[in-house]
Amino acid sequence: MTEKPTMPGPTMIEFRDVQKYYGDYHALRGITAEIRAGEFFSLLGPSGCGKTTLLRTIAGFESISSGVVLIDGKDMAQVPANQRPTNMVFQSYAIFPHLTVAENVGFGLRREAGSREDKARRVTEALEMVGLKGYGARAAHALSGGQRQRVALARALILKPKVLLLDEPLSALDKKMRENMQVELIKLQRQVGITFILVTHDQEEALVMSDRIAVMFEGQIAQLDDPETLYRRPKTRQVADFIGTMNFLPAEVAAQTNEGYSVDVAGLGRCEITEAQAPGAPTGGPASVGFRPETLTILYEGQTTSDRVSEGTVEEVVYYGDMTYYDVKLDGIDTPVRLSMRNLPGRPVLDIRTRTRVSWSPGALVLFR
Amino acid sequence: MKGGTGFRIYAMVYLVFLYAPIVLLPMFAFNNGIIIAFPLQGFTTQWFAALLDDPPLHDAVRNSLIIAVSVSILSTTLGVFAARASTRFNFPFKGPLMGLIMLPLVLPEIIVAVSLLVVLLGLGVSLNILTVILGHVLVCTPFCIAILTSAFQSLDRSLEEAAYDLGETPLSTFRLIILPLVMPGIVSALLISFTISLDEFIIAFFLAGTQATLPVYIFSQFRFPQAVPVIMALGTILVCLSILLLSIAEFFRRRGLARSGAKDTGGFL
Ligand SMILES: Nc1ncnc2c1ncn2[C@@H]1O[C@H](COP(=O)(O)OP(=O)(O)OP(=O)(O)O)[C@@H](O)[C@H]1O
Ligand SMILES: [Mg+2]
Repeated sequence: MTEKPTMPGPTMIEFRDVQKYYGDYHALRGITAEIRAGEFFSLLGPSGCGKTTLLRTIAGFESISSGVVLIDGKDMAQVPANQRPTNMVFQSYAIFPHLTVAENVGFGLRREAGSREDKARRVTEALEMVGLKGYGARAAHALSGGQRQRVALARALILKPKVLLLDEPLSALDKKMRENMQVELIKLQRQVGITFILVTHDQEEALVMSDRIAVMFEGQIAQLDDPETLYRRPKTRQVADFIGTMNFLPAEVAAQTNEGYSVDVAGLGRCEITEAQAPGAPTGGPASVGFRPETLTILYEGQTTSDRVSEGTVEEVVYYGDMTYYDVKLDGIDTPVRLSMRNLPGRPVLDIRTRTRVSWSPGALVLFR
Repeated sequence: MKGGTGFRIYAMVYLVFLYAPIVLLPMFAFNNGIIIAFPLQGFTTQWFAALLDDPPLHDAVRNSLIIAVSVSILSTTLGVFAARASTRFNFPFKGPLMGLIMLPLVLPEIIVAVSLLVVLLGLGVSLNILTVILGHVLVCTPFCIAILTSAFQSLDRSLEEAAYDLGETPLSTFRLIILPLVMPGIVSALLISFTISLDEFIIAFFLAGTQATLPVYIFSQFRFPQAVPVIMALGTILVCLSILLLSIAEFFRRRGLARSGAKDTGGFL
């Protein structure tokens, strides 16, 4: 297994102001983005936001209304799908039901030069790579969901494409299987070093698997960043809301300082917020701040902190085994905030209506426009 | 259980009504007597022997086979094009056009036959096997389209895209992926149009000119009492052939299903 390059690779795919209309419907509204060679890239967004459409414009199944799509520096406008250096794993897997597993995997080799033995060897290798050694002679329709998925992967990877496109490849699998396949896909991607572009509406999946994620809403990319930045420094409330849970409080930007902003947050008072905590670059006036549940901590009897402390009442307790989620109504704030605590020994789960102290740090806040 | 008995009796009566006449066919085909009535007169194979020595009958069988084979191939081919076009592409006036093509399905056949006759005579075309083939293609194509449309519709579009994505051309995708997967539908369409053409009477009667088809010939023979047992023998052979043909078709359909792993949704048997 090779280490991932830490330096960004050269650009593999470039979108320049890509627009797509289905009749009157504006499905892609000015997509401009670059995807680097060798990265695991995800398109994340709610249903109907245009993820599949964007993926299909890369594959060549969907023509674009205006703009440019470049793959490896070449304009794809005149290149049909069967001549693009991309291969796709379909959501339904699209395994050819009348062929065997080996015939499915070797389908793309039909048009390649090379001896029969050589092709058979490549099929065997591809099957081995996805953990289906010895399945070649099976009828393709007699496979489980997870096995089909692997056949589809092997079939797409055997041609060594520059880019592998995956449209919600894991959505048909059960939870356990999905988690296994996520890990396997990451390993496989590192092994082959091919650019993977994954479409998903599952934010957890995207966070786990991707080097970088483009979050899409209504045909536009709202934010394109690595998972950590996306999670810790979302640019808009919409992105913050879509990825994980975030508490929002109304706020007022009182002053713009050298380091960032002085903000009056409802119920929490004046906070100093750095430039980095405000990726959406607010201009002043009414705004809102957000914070993740895990950035709040319940202080038990006798615990002290250098962070700031608010008091409140527990309104709801949701027990998850390793974690407990609390909805706490802080004094001076109308809506309860959600916070999460690891369940460690000596840390009892609080009851509803318990009075408690909650510590928080201004450094964990995100300021939104 | 009460409702069950009632339904069972109904089913019995229904089956007897449907199949009893067909059972009578071989009975009188081997009956040593000209009159079709009980009691049976004893066993004979002379009616079958008479079939062998009947040149006009042989001509009619040959005509019918030529017509049925041509019609099934032509209308299935047309059906494949139409079904593919209507399930995959959108074009102007698609609805009305498809409706127009399917119209013969509901038009009284006698109307179709008479209008065709008028037009053909008006054009000065001489009536022969070709004109019957034209007429039959007109009525068989809608059946083929109906069968093939459901076959094409059940195809997952991403199968085509996958083949295309893997470097095949639209044409080779059609040959390698689509055709094998709709093959059971094509076999059904071939068979149904063959069967429809083979026993179609009205159009053949109007358009055949001097080249009678089998049904037309059989109809003409009913004027002669001594020919009736011969027709019974002919009918027996036809029934056996139909059963054989349908069994073959069903065999292929099931094998196609098993190979593609699809769920069996009945088919025509
Ligand atoms: N062929 C089409 N004709 C018309 N509208 C379409 C077509 N394909 C997609 N759309 C519309 O474009 C929008 C984006 O579709 P797309 O399939 O890209 O969404 P998606 O983000 O992949 O959603 P999902 O998560 O549900 O798959 C949707 O509103 C959809 O209705
Ligand atoms: Mg989609």
